Amino acid sequence: MSQQLVEDLKTLIGQEGEPREALDEVCKPMIRHWCAAMQDGNPLYTNEEYAKTSRYGNIIAPPTMMLTYTMPPLWPPKEDPPHHFEQFLEKLDKAGYLGILVTNVSQKYYKPLFVGDRITFTYKVTDMSPEKKTSLGAGYFVTTSFIFTNQKGETVGTQSFTVLKYSIG
Amino acid sequence: MAWKSVYWEDIEEGQELPTVSMDITCTTIVAGAIASSDFTPVHHDSNFAKSIGMQDIFMNNATICGLSGRYLTDWTGPEGELKEISFRIGTSCFAGDTMTMTGKVVKKHTEADQHLVDVAYEFNVPGGRNCGGTGTLALPTR
Repeated sequence: MSQQLVEDLKTLIGQEGEPREALDEVCKPMIRHWCAAMQDGNPLYTNEEYAKTSRYGNIIAPPTMMLTYTMPPLWPPKEDPPHHFEQFLEKLDKAGYLGILVTNVSQKYYKPLFVGDRITFTYKVTDMSPEKKTSLGAGYFVTTSFIFTNQKGETVGTQSFTVLKYSIG
Repeated sequence: MAWKSVYWEDIEEGQELPTVSMDITCTTIVAGAIASSDFTPVHHDSNFAKSIGMQDIFMNNATICGLSGRYLTDWTGPEGELKEISFRIGTSCFAGDTMTMTGKVVKKHTEADQHLVDVAYEFNVPGGRNCGGTGTLALPTR
């Protein structure tokens, strides 16, 4: 990869875009689908009767579901200008690093996700490794940090994740 | 129905979590991807996955994350509260794999009024370690 592109990518690190709102509010159908896929029988998530008597007093989403609220829609195509992270990935695609694989995920949970909550998130690229040789091909590890807030402005959680953008051999 | 609880006083550092096995099918992988709104073709389109050199479709990170939470709170019961999770993904998990989930309590501590345990856990598949991580949970006290 050219030095120019590396410098170009570095200018995107640390830049935070506008907050984005999750497409859906936290809702029982999405929670139920998630729990079915994960085979998670925790009654806090799907058992109304139990949830009412729990310390939360209502159904909550599994905390790990947080990252679902950052996902773009399958359709229609997004009209928002691409975020710095998306620009970052596009530039790496153009440079021939087409493969992408998530390698590390960290999440911290501060407040439960209640049914009806509207999640907003901000995120930024925080780090890029030098080019590394991996078993999949040469590539870069790119780390992104997220902050999730609810409609009351409370921070519900944070997440960092690292992807490997690699050249498919 | 009564739900079991693991109490902080009853935990010892070094204690192992029960081992859980899960048979992973194409349906498990696709259901996890779609439940997490992840439509990346490598998690549902076998031909596409093979075209980029993967053996087949493989489990997405959100499913590994969801299974991590499930493994930990299945152990504590619903009164256990997941505070934090951090994991590294290694070998991919494919349909036909049996995933073996294991874990161990590495630290017991308190912070403000919370009674916490740190757990190290792993998900292994026939190809190797799919996921290795740590989780912190707040537990109820007696």
